[in-house]
Amino acid sequence: MTIFNFRTARPVEYYRKYLEQDVRPDGRDLGEFRRTVLNIGCVTTADGSALVKLGNTTVMCGIKAELCKPKTETPKCGFIVPNVELSPLCSPYFRSGPPGEQAQVMSQFMLEVVNHSKCVDLESLCITQGKLVWVLYCDLLCLDYDGNVTDACVLALLAALKNVCLPTISINEETENPETDLTKRVPLPISSQPVSSTYAIFDDNILFVDPTAEEENLATGIITIVTTDDKLCLVHKPGGSPLRPEQLTNCFDRSFDRSKEISRLIDETIHSIDR
Amino acid sequence: MAGLNLLSDQGFRIDGRKPNELRRIQCKLGVFKQADGSAYIEQGNTKVLATVYGPHEIRGSRAKLLLDRVLVNCQYSMATFSTGERKRRPRGDRKSQEMTMHLKQTFDAAIMTNLYPRSQIDIFVEVLQSDGGNYCASVNAATLALIDAGIPMKDFVCACSASFVNDNPIADINYLEESSGGPELIVATLPKSDQIVFLEQNSRLHEDNLSKVIDLAVKSCKDVYTVLDRTVRDHVSEVSNSHGWDH
Amino acid sequence: MREMTCELGQLTRCDGDACLIQGETCVATAVYGPTEVRMNKEILDKATVEVVYKSKVGLPGCAEKMFERIIRNTCETTILTTAHPRSGINIIIQEMQNSGSYLACCINSACLALLDAGVSLKFLVAAVTCLINKEGDIILDPNSKQEKDGKALLTFVFNNKDFNIVTVNTKGSYSSRQFKDCTSLCKTSSKQVFEFYKNLWKSC
Repeated sequence: MTIFNFRTARPVEYYRKYLEQDVRPDGRDLGEFRRTVLNIGCVTTADGSALVKLGNTTVMCGIKAELCKPKTETPKCGFIVPNVELSPLCSPYFRSGPPGEQAQVMSQFMLEVVNHSKCVDLESLCITQGKLVWVLYCDLLCLDYDGNVTDACVLALLAALKNVCLPTISINEETENPETDLTKRVPLPISSQPVSSTYAIFDDNILFVDPTAEEENLATGIITIVTTDDKLCLVHKPGGSPLRPEQLTNCFDRSFDRSKEISRLIDETIHSIDR
Repeated sequence: MAGLNLLSDQGFRIDGRKPNELRRIQCKLGVFKQADGSAYIEQGNTKVLATVYGPHEIRGSRAKLLLDRVLVNCQYSMATFSTGERKRRPRGDRKSQEMTMHLKQTFDAAIMTNLYPRSQIDIFVEVLQSDGGNYCASVNAATLALIDAGIPMKDFVCACSASFVNDNPIADINYLEESSGGPELIVATLPKSDQIVFLEQNSRLHEDNLSKVIDLAVKSCKDVYTVLDRTVRDHVSEVSNSHGWDH
Repeated sequence: MREMTCELGQLTRCDGDACLIQGETCVATAVYGPTEVRMNKEILDKATVEVVYKSKVGLPGCAEKMFERIIRNTCETTILTTAHPRSGINIIIQEMQNSGSYLACCINSACLALLDAGVSLKFLVAAVTCLINKEGDIILDPNSKQEKDGKALLTFVFNNKDFNIVTVNTKGSYSSRQFKDCTSLCKTSSKQVFEFYKNLWKSC
C-alpha cells in the first residue's frame, strides 16, 4: 500500500505514525502555527479591511460603517455586528442558502470576542447621545476553508478594526441633520488586542495547535482560547475528550506566546503600509 | 449626470485613459487549494474572485440532472463591503440573480458540456470590490478558474464593456461612466473564432453607431484575451518548472 | 451552591425527562431515543445527537445556536454513541426560568434526562458555574443579580470517571491564575452535584 493510499484508507493510523515522532504530516511541530500572512486595507470601498492567510485558509474582513439610532437602554453605545459567511465558494462541505449552523456559531463567537475583550469601547462610537451612533458591520468572508477558520477570523477582524477610519460627523444646528466630512477621517481607537488560538485533541490526549481541515475531522475535540494581552478572555471547549487542567495550562502558555507573535505581525504590517 | 465631462477636449477620459484603452488587468490562477480551480482578477479597481468545483455528481435536487450534458451551476455574489453603500444581501436580489443567469448562459455556450453527462460543474463568483464592469470581470475570472480546473472549453470567454460618448466609442467603462446614463454595451466573445456568446445593451444608442461600439467592444475582448492567454501560459510554465517537467 | 431539586418522569410521551431547579433557575428537558433519524443526518458507525433549545420568548438566533452546540457536543461526549449506530437521540431543552448559572443547569438537566431515558452513557457529567466579581472574589453558582455585576463568568463541566474537564465556556476577562482557582473550586463542587444525582436515584 502506498503512503497516499494509506493516508486515505487509514487516516487515524497514518497520523499516529507521525505523532509518535512528535511531528505532523505537513512537517509542523505540535505547537507550530501555519505561516500567517496578513494584508491590511486591501478593499478601498470598505471603511476598514484585512485579508488573512493561515496556511491555505483564507479569510477576508471588510467593515462598513453606518449611522443609526442607539438602543434606549444604552444611549451612549454604538454597535459592532460581526457576520461570518461560509459560502460554498470556500469548500465543497458548505451548501448555498441561508447560513448553516457553523456560520451562525462562528458569528456569535466573533460577537462574544468583541464584547468580552472590549477591544473597541462602544461609547467611542457615539456621535450624539441617544440620537446618533455608528454601527460597524464587520463581514467576514471565508474564501478558502482549510481548518481553523476561528483564528483566521479573529485576526482578520482585529486587523480590519485597526484599519477603520471613520469620517467626522457634525450636527447642523438649524436642521439637526448630520453632516459628513469625508476629508477628516479619524482612526478608531482599539483598546485591547484579542488573539485566538485553536487546539485539536487527537486520540483523547495529544494536543496540537492550528488544525487543518483534515486534522479537524480526525480530532476528538477542539478548544479555542482567546487572550487579550496578558489576560484570558474566552476559553471555549464545547464537549469533546475530557482534559486534565494541566493540559489546559499548557495551552494557555502557547496562547500567550501566539498573542505576542500576532501583535508583532500586525505592527509590522501596519508599519509597512505607512511607509 | 450633467456637467460631468466624460471625454475631455483633448480626448482623455475621467481617469486619464484614451477612448480605446483598457484598465490595467492583473490576474492570478490557482489561488486556493480547496477548490478544483480558482482565479483572482483585478480590472482597475474592480476585484473579483472565482472558484470552480467539478465535474462532480449532482448535488441537491436530482431533478436538475441532464442526461446528455453537464449541468453548469453558477452563483454570483457581491461582498457587502464591495460597493460605496453597504449591500444588504450579498446574493439573492434581482440584480445578482440576473447576473447568475447570464453567467450560466455564457458558460453553457463555452464549456464542452457533452463530455460530462449526468454531472455538475459549479462556478462561484465573488465580487470583492466593485468599480464597474462586474459582469466582464466575473466572466474573465471564471474563464481563468475553469482553465485552472482543467475543464475542456471551446475557447477562452473574454468579456468587455463599451459606451458611446461625444461621437466616440469608449472601451471598458468604470462605475462613473456606467452610472452617467449613457449607453452601455456588454459583450462576451470566443476570441479565436470571433463568435459572440453574450451581448447586452442598456440605454439609447443610435443604430448608426451600434456597429462602431460593437467593433470596439469585440476588439477590446481580444485585448483582454491577450492578457489572459499570457497569464495562463506563465502559470503553466511556472507550474511545470516547479514540477521539473520538460515542455 | 444553591439548593437543587429535580422531578423525573413528569412528561408521558417522551422516553425520558427531567425538570431541574437550581436555586431560582429552572429547566425542563425531554429525551427521545434511540429512534430513527433522517437519511441525510445518518452516521454509519454511531448515533446522531441532536439538541433543540427553546427559549421562553422570541425566535432562535445565533446565540441560541451556539448554546445548542455547546450542549450537543457535551451530550455527544457523554453518550455511548457507538452503541446505537444509524439512529438518532433527540434532546429538547425548554427554558422555564433563567436566574443565573443557566448553562450549567441546562447541561445537568440534560444529563439527568438521558439517565431517565436509559440511554447508555460513557460517564456522567456535572456542570458548575462560578463568577469572578469586581473585587476579584470567586462566587460559586451565582444568581442573575450577581452575574450582572460580575467581571467574568466561567462554566465547567466535569465527568465522574476521572474528574477531567469535558466542557469550558467563559465570558469576560481574567488571569490564568484565577482560571486555575476557579477550576479547582468547581471541581470540588462538581462532587456535590454527583452526590445529588446519586441521592435522587436512590429516592426513586
